[in-house]
Amino acid sequence: MAEEFLVVKDLHKSFNEHKAVNGVSFAIEKGEIFGLLGPNGAGKTTTIRMLSTVLEPDSGEVVIGGHSIRQEPEAVRSIIGVCPQELALYEDLSALDNMVFFGRMAGLNGQEARAQAMQHLELMGLVERARGRVSRFSGGMKRRINLAIALMGTPRLLFLDEPTVGIDPQSRNNIYETIRGLRDRGMTILYTTHYMEEADRLCRRVAIMDAGQIITLDTPRQLKSQIGSPDQVTLEDVFLKLTGRSLRD
Amino acid sequence: MLQLTHIWLIAVKDLKIFVRDRAAVFFFIVFPFIFIIMFNFLLSGIGGEDERLELHLVTREPAGGLSHQIIGAMTKAEESQLAPGQPKMVRDKDYAEARRAVEAEEMPGFIAFPADFTEKLSTGSGTRLEVVANAGNTNYRAALSGVAGAIAAEVGADRVIVEASIALMVRGGVIPPDEASINQAVRSIMDRLMAGGAGGEESAFIDFATQKVGEVEAENPANFVIPGYLVMFVFFAAAVAAEAIVRERQNRTLERLLATSVRRESILGGVFTGTVIRGLVQIVIFWTLGILAFRVDLGLAPAAVFILSFLMVIMSAAFSVMLATLARTQRSAGSLAVITALVLAPLGGCWWPSFLYPQWLQDIAKITPHAWANDGFNKVMVFGADFSAAVPDMLALAVFAAIFGFIAVWRFRTSAV
Ligand SMILES: Nc1ncnc2c1ncn2[C@@H]1O[C@H](COP(=O)(O)OP(=O)(O)OP(=O)(O)O)[C@@H](O)[C@H]1O
Ligand SMILES: [Mg+2]
Repeated sequence: MAEEFLVVKDLHKSFNEHKAVNGVSFAIEKGEIFGLLGPNGAGKTTTIRMLSTVLEPDSGEVVIGGHSIRQEPEAVRSIIGVCPQELALYEDLSALDNMVFFGRMAGLNGQEARAQAMQHLELMGLVERARGRVSRFSGGMKRRINLAIALMGTPRLLFLDEPTVGIDPQSRNNIYETIRGLRDRGMTILYTTHYMEEADRLCRRVAIMDAGQIITLDTPRQLKSQIGSPDQVTLEDVFLKLTGRSLRD
Repeated sequence: MLQLTHIWLIAVKDLKIFVRDRAAVFFFIVFPFIFIIMFNFLLSGIGGEDERLELHLVTREPAGGLSHQIIGAMTKAEESQLAPGQPKMVRDKDYAEARRAVEAEEMPGFIAFPADFTEKLSTGSGTRLEVVANAGNTNYRAALSGVAGAIAAEVGADRVIVEASIALMVRGGVIPPDEASINQAVRSIMDRLMAGGAGGEESAFIDFATQKVGEVEAENPANFVIPGYLVMFVFFAAAVAAEAIVRERQNRTLERLLATSVRRESILGGVFTGTVIRGLVQIVIFWTLGILAFRVDLGLAPAAVFILSFLMVIMSAAFSVMLATLARTQRSAGSLAVITALVLAPLGGCWWPSFLYPQWLQDIAKITPHAWANDGFNKVMVFGADFSAAVPDMLALAVFAAIFGFIAVWRFRTSAV
């Protein structure tokens, strides 16, 4: 069995009386793209915030790259990159300034940060707009910058929380290709999305979460074969069957 | 070392964002000077009289009281020995006559020692100087209050206490009334005073109250206007910056920072440093323009003026960071900032001299850092006091800064993003 890069054991988090994350356990292998799916309010973002040491869990154990998030949060922070669900950018700064700043916060020196920033902007097709102010960017460009910042400092584990919401197919494809390229270079990726077909294409394994718990975890193909022929049903069918059709939140 | 780099980078990032915000820059630098230029224009018709100020002193005590000695000591100087701008002290004989002269506007005002001055002092129960002045003559009243304050603060602790004790000892026959024994007693009492650290408590012995006669008519010298607006705008600009810090939390960049190797303390330190740098730029501009364009006089202790300005910047930045950790939304941070800045500025004497306020209001004003800063600036720049007179004000500003900073750190440590 491949090396497990991220191990989560029985993670809990409540807000007031509401159990946002209620006993979540899973493991991600090194170099794997792992999908975390679930309806609105399932607890995906809360899980990612705990794994990225921003939010303290009520209980549970998380080990990333051999470091416990409780005992060695600093070590964990130095090997992770986070692309938050909401845009987290300085709108009044240029794309380059944003990237260099976060690169330096991730421990790069000025020169490295600059070089990496240009490299990632190239990857995202944003080199011409490097010095443009982010506030003047389109939604898709902001999304790509949001993702590019997460890559600064070359993390070994990447948390991508719905990196493709609200963007056109071109931008989305650009992001898919980027993500695949990262995996090919050995990066481990935790990916959340509401686009089932996206998860199907990208992820080696997916976990479906609902009401703070993981209700199933397997490869897309295995999940589909549970309800029919894998070539005829979609992951969305599986998702709706498992999580029901009632509205959330 | 790495943490210092982080602090610096965060500060630089904030400054970059700041200079791109034209409205903020305008509000921060141009706006204060519109105020000051306006006041300078209003003032340009007034002033120009270079006569030596005469300050009148009266005592209601019977002859032989300590106040007679104090007045004697203060009025002794010959006019020719006075430094330029230094007021001449004049002794008036009769309280009722002096008061009548003020009411008839024949004399601008005077300081009066009460009838029980010596008695109250020697029993340690505290006494009170009375400043009677024409309300219209702001400068004169300011000057009298300054002198009364100086008597209370400086003469109060040392000479008055010592002389009171000596007078009592002589009267009670403890020491013979010859010069040698008195001098020796003075020295031994002084020694004991110093050792006991009584110096810090002088204000408990004498304080003073200002009384107004007639209508008030505003009239502000640039030496008052510039520091007043400096205090107000340095604080205002810093407080408003709290909004930017809350924005950092709201647009999730704070969360992003927390997932990197940057420590929470460094984030706070970076934000604080950025605000301090902006404040320093502000005071440099204020004083450069103040000296070159408005010819302000920094008095005998320019160092005190600069230290007070610096502490004002530190205190304001600490307040800003505290506000940011207390406010939940950008809007609440913004309105809280504007409200506190606009309430504290006049209360703390930024708009008109707080030494003209009734005593109770002056007491309340002491809860504002502005009052201390203005008090320090006024002492040095308006009343010609020396460095040591402003030290309590510096300490007060430092204490405010420490309290605000402490709350900020504590809130930021424990608060979720
Ligand atoms: N800071 C918070 N305070 C209170 N409740 C919260 C907080 N953060 C999340 N919640 C609640 O926890 C639950 C899980 O939220 P979370 O954001 O993790 O869901 P999600 O799976 O990411 O949803 P979405 O797909 O809509 O992004 C929701 O009911 C949400 O309202
Ligand atoms: Mg979410």
